[in-house]
Amino acid sequence: MDDFENENTMIGRGREAVEQIVDPGSFKENVINDYNFEADCAPGSVVGTAVLDGKPVTIIASDAEAFNDRFPVVFGGVIGLEEGYKMATAVYKTIEADKDKPLAEKRAIILIVDTPGNGPGKLEEIAGMNKATGSYQLALAEARKTGHPIVACVIGRAISGAFLCHGLQADHIVALSQEFGTMIHVMPLTSISRITKLNIEILEELAKENPVFAAGVGFFYKLGGVQEIIEKIEDMRSVIIKHVNEVARLKAEGKGELLGPWGRGILGNERGGRVDRVKVMDKMKEEFAAVAGKYIGA
Amino acid sequence: MKKWSELKDSSFFDASARERAVGLVDKGTFTEFLHPLDRYCSPHLVVLGQAVEFDDGMVCGVGLLGRHPAFIISMEGRFIGGAIGEVNGAKMVGAIRLALTAAKEIKAKYPGEYEAKRPLVVISFETGGVRLHESNAGLLAHAEVMDAFQDCRHIVPVVSVVGSKVGCFGGMGFVAAAADVIVMNEQGRIGLTGPEVIEQEMGKEEFDASNKALVYRTTGAKHKYIIQDCNYLVEDTIGDFHKVLGEIAGKSMEEIEKMRRIGSIDLVREQQELVKLVGDMQPKDSMDVWKHFGNENPAALPELSTAEFLKTVKRRARS
Amino acid sequence: MALQVLEFNFKSAATQSIPKEWSHTGVTGSGDLEVLLEKKDLGGGVKAKVVTPVKGFDAVWEKMIQKFVTDTGVGNLSIEINDDNATPIVVYMRLRQALAEATAKEAE
Repeated sequence: MDDFENENTMIGRGREAVEQIVDPGSFKENVINDYNFEADCAPGSVVGTAVLDGKPVTIIASDAEAFNDRFPVVFGGVIGLEEGYKMATAVYKTIEADKDKPLAEKRAIILIVDTPGNGPGKLEEIAGMNKATGSYQLALAEARKTGHPIVACVIGRAISGAFLCHGLQADHIVALSQEFGTMIHVMPLTSISRITKLNIEILEELAKENPVFAAGVGFFYKLGGVQEIIEKIEDMRSVIIKHVNEVARLKAEGKGELLGPWGRGILGNERGGRVDRVKVMDKMKEEFAAVAGKYIGA
Repeated sequence: MKKWSELKDSSFFDASARERAVGLVDKGTFTEFLHPLDRYCSPHLVVLGQAVEFDDGMVCGVGLLGRHPAFIISMEGRFIGGAIGEVNGAKMVGAIRLALTAAKEIKAKYPGEYEAKRPLVVISFETGGVRLHESNAGLLAHAEVMDAFQDCRHIVPVVSVVGSKVGCFGGMGFVAAAADVIVMNEQGRIGLTGPEVIEQEMGKEEFDASNKALVYRTTGAKHKYIIQDCNYLVEDTIGDFHKVLGEIAGKSMEEIEKMRRIGSIDLVREQQELVKLVGDMQPKDSMDVWKHFGNENPAALPELSTAEFLKTVKRRARS
Repeated sequence: MALQVLEFNFKSAATQSIPKEWSHTGVTGSGDLEVLLEKKDLGGGVKAKVVTPVKGFDAVWEKMIQKFVTDTGVGNLSIEINDDNATPIVVYMRLRQALAEATAKEAE
């Protein structure tokens, strides 16, 4: 990358992003409360504790410069088997650290998102990569429901399954604007065109109106997948702090349903990007209510 | 469509999503939600000029397993590979949440009988994950399903049933793994990355996607059973699946919890041991792992019938 | 790019519809189709709606459905089809199958 690009993108710079976001010099890698991680395991993941706006937070990020020698498909920010389980452990250790604390003191978890995918290899399938990513997601869902505010900040690549794994279980998701090369998608339009055999020009034209398939931060915003778009790199810190506080407030008010994947569904409906989802679920509810007695009273 | 009594002895592998949905619960008890007459097609496919289906490739509803209301989600692989978009994704989430609603109502109305009437969620997977024609909505739906799974923990058992042509891949590969219990027939496959993508990433010498036996050894039910990712390996009839689901419905939540493979720090530690083993061993093939777990002649295992396999196989010891 | 929606009306001497209110058969798989039949008071007639990604086969669809109506003598019936590139033979076969299922006795 040349200097111009370096200034305009955060892709591959997860560690730098951590330093820019947390209170200066506060990040301690591989430590969560009294638990110490083995430093040489899961090199593609970065976990630890920092101070954000005076309060302890758990940080989970990817290291795009690391190579995992034992699992060679893991590099460039890929979340592999070891990485997924290390990230999950970081979440469980966070829950454990604050388990006796009141809701207001449950520390936040900050996910710095820049990952192109999950480990796509043979070893991964033999051991079950699906479990590593699934495990991390369940841990995040548990932490969220336990009361920890979780904010994900997409600084670079948030691609498909890796975004599901590292990001989409957060309470709120914020993202640097498209201008910084931020990528949120399942597949680029060119690949969608190739696989679905749909004409790329027509797809591009339709994408202007319909956010459900095209790549981009703005489309995810419309679908409720992104809460807020960050316009300047130096604003990352303040926006994340704002969202941590807002999430904590909603949790204190017992409004957890407005957060996480379900809350993003509500937002997607409000923003007009995903309006069928609600209709489907309402209709099902109605249909079940009509027969519920027969099943519940069985 | 076949009658329930005919479905009982029919192949699960060959069955349509609706046949599976009807046949997995007790005779005559299935009520479908958003059935074809509701005509809830994907509006996004219409815009793209793609063929639609009245149920959007997913059959959801409720039936009974004994006294247990069973919320069924059954995917149709013949419709766009069973892939998940906005409508069928919402159906999936909606069905899981209805199971939680039912649990709440049963607890309120029959407080002493919850265990005996406890609902469950049964998902018959046949999918490659996200539907690319509406990929963003499909992706977001996956996250909602995982979220709903966590809501079900310790309240409503979630059972993955995998044994259809397409298998269960992509994002749905980890959704299946995140359930409490996994039931498969020999033909069932679960994975994250499909064989073609692995070949593309690693080269044909490392992984030949056209080698069907290799693909089965890597993601197939026998491998999953050996490494303890599959709790029940059953014969390929809808009746066999139905019978096992009936057993599962009656188990205590404590027994159900023990069948999980992920979902707690202890389970993470257990899986990390498996990852360490695979990292140290660098297996060329799943058979190396089978041998490690005590199967002296691993090459013979794929050839065995399900019954013979179950009699002789050695599995990973759970810690 | 949008899907083709074709609508046809057929006259039929018969008023014999299906015994059930509605019946559904098949999957919109590649080269296949699903059929939704509904009992409707159409003064004996049959109406059909076909949704398909394929352009330019309106006459073929009309002919196949007409043949089905003539051969089976159904009336007072609404037919809805979601198609994904099925051949005329498959269309005819699925329609016959759909009718057989719609008229099958509920043995259980």
